[in-house]
Amino acid sequence: MPDALLEKLRAAVGPANVLIGIELSPYVVEGRTPEAAVFPGSIEEVAAVMAMACEVGRSVTPWGGGTAASVGMPTAGAGLILGLRRMARLLDHEPGDLTATVEAGMTVEAFQTALRSRGQWLSLDPADGDRASVGGVIATNAYGPRRHLYGSARDLLIGVTVVTADGSVVKGGGKVVKNVAGYDLPKLFIGSYGTLGVIVEATVKLRPLAEHEELVCVRFDRLKDAGAAVKAIASSDLIPNAVELLDGAAVGGAGLAAGAPGPPAAALVVGFDGVREQVDWQRAELARLTGPLGSRDVRQLDAAAWPRLGPAARGAFATPAAVMTLVVLPTQVADIMEQGAGIARGRGLQSAWAAHAGVGVMRAALGSDPAPTDPGAIAAVLTDWREIVHAGGGHANLESAPLAVKSQVPVWDDPGAAGRIMERIKAQLDPRNILNPGRFVAGI
Amino acid sequence: MPTLTDSRKLELRRELETIVGRGAVLSDPDELMVYESDGLTLFRALADFVVFPTSAQHVSAVVKLANRENLPFVARGAGTGLSGGCLPAEGGIVISLMRMNKVLEVDYENQIAVVEPGLVNLHLSWKVGPRGYYYAPDPSSQQACTIGGNIANNSGGPHTLKYGVTTNHVLGLEVVMPDGEIVWLGGKTRESCGYDLAGVFVGSEGTFGIATRIVVRILKKPQAVKTVLAVFDAIDQASAAVSAIIARGLVPAAMEMIDHLTIQAVEDAFNCGYPRDADAALLIELDGLAVGMDVQADHIVAACRESGAREVRTARTEAERQLLWKGRKSAFGAYGRVSPAYMVMDGVIPRTKLPYVLRRVNEIVAASGLRVGNVFHAGDGNLHPNILYDPRKPGEEARVVAAGAEIMKVCAEVGGSISGEHGIGLEKADFMPFIFSVADLALMHRLKNAFNPSGLCNPGKIFPTRKSCVEVGPVAYRPHAIEEKGLAQRF
Repeated sequence: MPDALLEKLRAAVGPANVLIGIELSPYVVEGRTPEAAVFPGSIEEVAAVMAMACEVGRSVTPWGGGTAASVGMPTAGAGLILGLRRMARLLDHEPGDLTATVEAGMTVEAFQTALRSRGQWLSLDPADGDRASVGGVIATNAYGPRRHLYGSARDLLIGVTVVTADGSVVKGGGKVVKNVAGYDLPKLFIGSYGTLGVIVEATVKLRPLAEHEELVCVRFDRLKDAGAAVKAIASSDLIPNAVELLDGAAVGGAGLAAGAPGPPAAALVVGFDGVREQVDWQRAELARLTGPLGSRDVRQLDAAAWPRLGPAARGAFATPAAVMTLVVLPTQVADIMEQGAGIARGRGLQSAWAAHAGVGVMRAALGSDPAPTDPGAIAAVLTDWREIVHAGGGHANLESAPLAVKSQVPVWDDPGAAGRIMERIKAQLDPRNILNPGRFVAGI
Repeated sequence: MPTLTDSRKLELRRELETIVGRGAVLSDPDELMVYESDGLTLFRALADFVVFPTSAQHVSAVVKLANRENLPFVARGAGTGLSGGCLPAEGGIVISLMRMNKVLEVDYENQIAVVEPGLVNLHLSWKVGPRGYYYAPDPSSQQACTIGGNIANNSGGPHTLKYGVTTNHVLGLEVVMPDGEIVWLGGKTRESCGYDLAGVFVGSEGTFGIATRIVVRILKKPQAVKTVLAVFDAIDQASAAVSAIIARGLVPAAMEMIDHLTIQAVEDAFNCGYPRDADAALLIELDGLAVGMDVQADHIVAACRESGAREVRTARTEAERQLLWKGRKSAFGAYGRVSPAYMVMDGVIPRTKLPYVLRRVNEIVAASGLRVGNVFHAGDGNLHPNILYDPRKPGEEARVVAAGAEIMKVCAEVGGSISGEHGIGLEKADFMPFIFSVADLALMHRLKNAFNPSGLCNPGKIFPTRKSCVEVGPVAYRPHAIEEKGLAQRF
């Protein structure tokens, strides 16, 4: 990096907030070392850094907690890391409005802790909440089991402040829960993986904390029966806040295999919240519904099991060889899990599957234990998985895999004709292509 | 925009007929008049043609023809919009989707339906109702408005407090792009690939293309519903009750406020059982599991009483419940009993600012020498002041428009928005700088360029019209288009 640029960056954010050389090791992604990591402390500083990067054509990777840093293709240029960790304040929380505004670098956990002290929460429960930043969760559209009832960022984000590629500060949405003035810019930035702008502030809808919450595990000897139970729940009067379907391997990955005579083939983990009697009634109703479908047992889980559910598939292996996210219609979930596991077995690989079954979002991990596995076999399985999902009208993307696999299997689906609109949006918002170039869908 | 000669117009009419069929093209000025405005009759504009396609291919071919001829075009549903959003530019083509009104597919197990844009909102709930499902967004015009129109405006309704607005219920759309290409944005699954184009499309007021198929979520009807009417002697008490209910950790399905003037009108017209002498009433609905419902209802009753409600009663039968809702939903029609005309405003504020803003609304309207009735979605802070006036009295309409602008400024000043569900359209394009900066609007314009680079698709909407806007900061006053036309002036 030219000294002149480095000096300008140091002048903009303070010398202590520009890292170079050996200090960059936490920001090495897939073997690439950035030129510098810059940590602005205000929106104005973010804008100044972006304007400088834009002027000299340096690529920029926005960085929250770094929990999704390796998702996507490696960016075309190593460039700058723009870290938001110094922008981590809760700016505004008005309990009577059920809204809050935060700086993007605040961790989800810190945010939730502050909200909880006033009886409210943000109804998003992504993995790694202790490290994941609010901005990163929005940029990667991360969510967890409670998405079943409470939706994802697109249902909760009502306003966003973004610094665009040229250093402009732009607001979309607002601070009120209902708002149709102008285009819905918050939607544009959700799941855009930092390719359209740097999210610096977010305003979200909140919910009151439920009086009571409970997690119930129903184990089955056949995955198919658990799949039938998912359908039975969907057409019942139950209002669960989570419906997780785990195969045998993922049951182990979530630490739920103990205490049974032999490992179960599948488990359905269902969350309920509300007033006490609602939770009690629903637990009993769940037992009544699943009994005739072959459930082995119904037991309450400790609340500590919640954060283990999202990463259950990955958790089945010490070091998974690859993790894929597959999105299908809810009724297809159990079938795809069976087929997908069969495909892996056919190639001599182990797999683990966990799904937010009610919304049709699955995660599948491929195991490389005990011996390192040939990238060709991994790539072949992932390609087959993607094909069965596409055949049913779904989508798949590669959440993590070694570069040797990413070079053989596209990380992202081909968005088809919509991809051209996405390219035009990217060209309009980031004409010099400096924000995470090449990381996202359609080469964006 | 080009002015068509009569002979050219005839040629184009014939060509349009070869696309959509004879009997599916209007070009007679008398017939075109029906399409010269929407529910906001302040604005009028005549198209050259109105066409009635029955397929995406029809829409695509019409759009391609419009591009070739450099003619503006705009999609239209039932015309119930309240911001002039579906008005034609002077001339051009109105593409009415009213003949594309089928439910194409219902997948009950996955709780989705695929519908055409001209389907009337309520007809979807009728279709899936017998199996125990419904479509949640329920704008007050749901007996007439179409789902395509709801998409354009990201429509809400009373029950959006708990269930969200249209965008929260749309998974995918088949869209005829402004250049005529047919593209799917999103699909049937809950996540799609790449940017959330479906999310960006919803609420784009017809400026990003024309939806020809829509995948929506349908919801299971709740096991139980409870409807409570709380009556107050002071409207501030009713506002306080809204906050008290939220503070108790309750999110009702709906929480609607009806003020004194509106109660009078409703009772005159329909006799729904609202006490005539009340200053305000809150209509609160809980839904969900039958078990625990009474406990939650007790909380609601307690919160209302603590806030000073003089009476809180629960609908004992479905007939009673329907009567209370009839009062709420027919309030707009009931204003006809107390005034020759009214204009409905649409603004949003943080819930906690309700008492202050309602006082300001009343002051502003009183200062204009007019009367206002308020009936609105109190739970999400979405105000609908209805200013009553007599269009035959010179200058009254202009005073209504000016008071409306003042009210929007108050909404903006307290951190709110200038539209909660009616859209910006023509009506509020020049109010956009109240809440958006030059940079914000510039980004929106870039987004528009990505979808609609020619600008032929529904021109003149959303964005402020005067070039000078770039010199004016946010929340600065600029004359409304109507003022510039001499139809209104500020006081």
